[in-house]
Amino acid sequence: MSVAAADYAPPATPFSERLKNPAWLLVPAAVFLAFIYLLPVIDLVRISMSGSTPWVHFERVFAVPLYWEALVRTMQISLTVAFLCLVFGYPTALLIHRSRGITQMLIATAIILPYFIAILIRTYAWMVLLGRNGPINKLLQWLGILDEPAQLLFNRGSVLLGMTAVLLPLMVLSIYSSVSRLDPGLTRAAQASGAGPIATFWRVLLPLTAPGMGAGFLLVFVTALGFFITPTLLGGPGDQMFAMHITQQADFVSSEGFLQALAVVLLVITLVVVAVAGRFLGFEFIWGGGKLTEVHDEPKDSVDGTTVNTAPRRTFAMIVADAIGWPILRVLSALPGWTGTLTVRAMGGFVIAALIVPIIVVMIISFSKASFLTFPPPGWSFRWYEKFFTDSQWIAAFTSSLTIAVISSAMAVTLGGCAAMGIVRSTIKGKTILMLLLVSPVIVPPVVLGLSLYSLFLRFDLVGTIGGLAAAHAIGGLPIVVVIVAAALQGVDTRLEQAASVHGASPLTVFRTVTLPAIAPGLAAAAFFAFLHSFDELVLSLFLSSANLQTLPLRLWADVNYQLNPVLAVVSTLEVLLVVGGIILSRPVLARSRAA
Amino acid sequence: MVQNVAWRGGRQGGSTSHGSSTPAGGTSENTRSVIGSSIAINDVVKRYGTFMAADHISLDVQPGEFITLLGPSGSGKTTLLNLVAGFQKLDGGEILVDGNPIHNVPTHKRGFGMVFQSYALFPNMTVTQNVAFPLRMAGVDRETANRRVAETLEIMRLSDHAQKNPSQMSGGQQQRVAIARSIVMRPKVVLMDEPLSALDRRLRESIQIEIRDLHQTLGSTILFVTHDQGEALTMSDRIAVLDAGKIVQVGNPVEIYRHPTNRFVASFVGESNLIDAEIVQKRGSTMTLKNRAGYVFNAESRSTIDVGRATVLVRPERIAISDEPNQTAIPVTVTSALFLGEILRIEAQMEGGETLLIRCPDSDRRLPNVGDTLYASWRAEDCWVLS
Repeated sequence: MSVAAADYAPPATPFSERLKNPAWLLVPAAVFLAFIYLLPVIDLVRISMSGSTPWVHFERVFAVPLYWEALVRTMQISLTVAFLCLVFGYPTALLIHRSRGITQMLIATAIILPYFIAILIRTYAWMVLLGRNGPINKLLQWLGILDEPAQLLFNRGSVLLGMTAVLLPLMVLSIYSSVSRLDPGLTRAAQASGAGPIATFWRVLLPLTAPGMGAGFLLVFVTALGFFITPTLLGGPGDQMFAMHITQQADFVSSEGFLQALAVVLLVITLVVVAVAGRFLGFEFIWGGGKLTEVHDEPKDSVDGTTVNTAPRRTFAMIVADAIGWPILRVLSALPGWTGTLTVRAMGGFVIAALIVPIIVVMIISFSKASFLTFPPPGWSFRWYEKFFTDSQWIAAFTSSLTIAVISSAMAVTLGGCAAMGIVRSTIKGKTILMLLLVSPVIVPPVVLGLSLYSLFLRFDLVGTIGGLAAAHAIGGLPIVVVIVAAALQGVDTRLEQAASVHGASPLTVFRTVTLPAIAPGLAAAAFFAFLHSFDELVLSLFLSSANLQTLPLRLWADVNYQLNPVLAVVSTLEVLLVVGGIILSRPVLARSRAA
Repeated sequence: MVQNVAWRGGRQGGSTSHGSSTPAGGTSENTRSVIGSSIAINDVVKRYGTFMAADHISLDVQPGEFITLLGPSGSGKTTLLNLVAGFQKLDGGEILVDGNPIHNVPTHKRGFGMVFQSYALFPNMTVTQNVAFPLRMAGVDRETANRRVAETLEIMRLSDHAQKNPSQMSGGQQQRVAIARSIVMRPKVVLMDEPLSALDRRLRESIQIEIRDLHQTLGSTILFVTHDQGEALTMSDRIAVLDAGKIVQVGNPVEIYRHPTNRFVASFVGESNLIDAEIVQKRGSTMTLKNRAGYVFNAESRSTIDVGRATVLVRPERIAISDEPNQTAIPVTVTSALFLGEILRIEAQMEGGETLLIRCPDSDRRLPNVGDTLYASWRAEDCWVLS
């Protein structure tokens, strides 16, 4: 190379250098998702439009009152649930934030633990709690309010209660993440400037946590739109949600095309909500993270211009909020100071009870002597544990679930870990879009995904295979891994890697000695959550398993629908122990990562 | 092509007044354990989008030299260091170490040592393991490695801390561990990226001396980045002042302080009075000027301009004050007077509105009050005409 060329032309990147670009790490995950997720969804849309005219099936969806009403009902229920979650979630998040030490840890655990327990099991717990012989009926009778057991289940109220309880942790965690990021000095500064507790809340706390509230509201709303398990088990005939129609129609072969049209309607509504929300909140709300740094796009010391752009909108929001909320709060401020604290504690306490009590009741019932569900148990025995461990069907379901979850977790961690590395470390454009694609499976209603995968699985003869189910579960596991590992990678001090590199470590050695130890806790957590995701997965399995491959959730599902017996309580107890065990095992790892 | 002027020549160039103030002067080369590399930075360009982080920078670093890249944040000094380290790729130009181009040599094969502002000690390793890291990477056998680590810890007075975890140590200790790690291989080049700015002032001063002494005994070429002009003046053989991705002046500390080439260097390095004046006449290296209020004074100049307006630098400590008028003194009105211990810091206004900053050593004179009139004067040798 001549000196002149070296002086003025940027050195051309040799092919071997281009191979080292971390962007290549995105390829395996992209190929996987394209094949098993994007193509089936596109195929779903194609089939939905394969009638005599492309829109004939859609016309039917909107023309038949049954479906139209279900759609309206789904929106109503989802909005109500999201609103209830917000009202009860905010005080709970504040309660976690304000408590200290062991209290804080206990409250946080009470919120987080249910979050990791299968929706099916938590819904089952509510069925036990609200049942004819359940503790609530017994309590009301004992208090003399009721003469005979009332039917508390299978109505709109129980659906709303169950869904709110199931989705509350999502809301609390979302709000808490924005509350905990607040500088504690701000509250003190507001108080020092003469703002009382209510003014501080209204003028400082609420505006600053609004993004967290918005994100939580949307996440809950979008998840509720595609909800299937809870309304099926807790609702009556008048509470049919849209996703339930899809599963019911799936039993009829004749509804090919129309069935897909139902799924597409649900998918489109979900995507529109997410797109509108993303426009205002930034799509980062989906994975609850900060903006990805798009490296090399701008100089380090550039002035951030975003605050200027958002200022008018915030001002407008504040005017509206002030006009309505502030007078009400002024009236409230006449109340003695402790009422605020008391309200937070009472509502937070209620939420914690609603999350924890069902689980505890189920655990107690698993030791019951009775052959039906009743609380308190008339006597104690291990007979249901014996039944579970000696029943070959239960054990077979348990082992296949375990096998599928291990394989699925391995797939998700391999693909997702590489993809996270590629996202964080490469300098390619459009990272946000890529991240959106990788994370989008969380948004797509599982019913839609299951339906679209079904035809793919039929074509490749994957229905009822362990590998097929593991791969299907990995679609949902992948986003979990990408989000956790990407966060862990962003937390790695690049100076440490540079220090290793400059002192003689090759890129591979840098990864092994610096990067890997730093992200190991994140990887372990990701593996555990991907495992749990697969182990708990029900909806996809409903579509994709066959009679000779039963997973534990499928077995539970069948039993919940036909014979509510205490074996289910045994399985639930074991699942709770699994989650608790996982969290306890990961605690030292997490603590170590925090110290570093 | 205007920017392509290379600043060549090391210690031999520079002002006549460069005396024993740079400690490197007196050390004989044979006491040093390695001979540092020369680094030639030729017309280097680095862009971020349309932002020029390094705008055709050229700089020759002599073997064994302690050179400081000084500039405000965003001036491109850290970018330049990262380019030398290989953390970033060049967009143009070349970097030669001992005459060999290094842009295709990956960072880990360049054989440098480096100290970071954030220490960047591996949290999963003890002090010993951290310091041994470069040796381990180079495949040095265990026995030699242990001996070298022990020696280096001894030099950095860290022997008592060998088995500690970095997180158990204070900031100053951690940075000494980081320095130990950077020199354990006896590298020919050590890069230092604002290594002292996370430390408090006292600690900073003691480690400044430590690094300075280390450079004497070690002999490595040190490329040191800082935004602290005091630090740069104390430590360097030469200073390269950067602004907006360009090198604006290279010279030894005395040269940079006494004879800055432009307003930016004059005001960034040290405190300064920049007086706007009209050139009356020029005779040899002495120039006669007249300020806005009409006072005439002489100044030293290497400038080739001899008509029109000029900016004159007068350092605050070179101004003499008196309560009595004399024929060459300029009357000023005191606007603030601070007693700082060893010096008095006075701000005063000249006729015509310009502010004059004066620093004079504490003496038995009384503190001036705001509104007092003082008479300020300086000699021709005390001021410098900026070109």
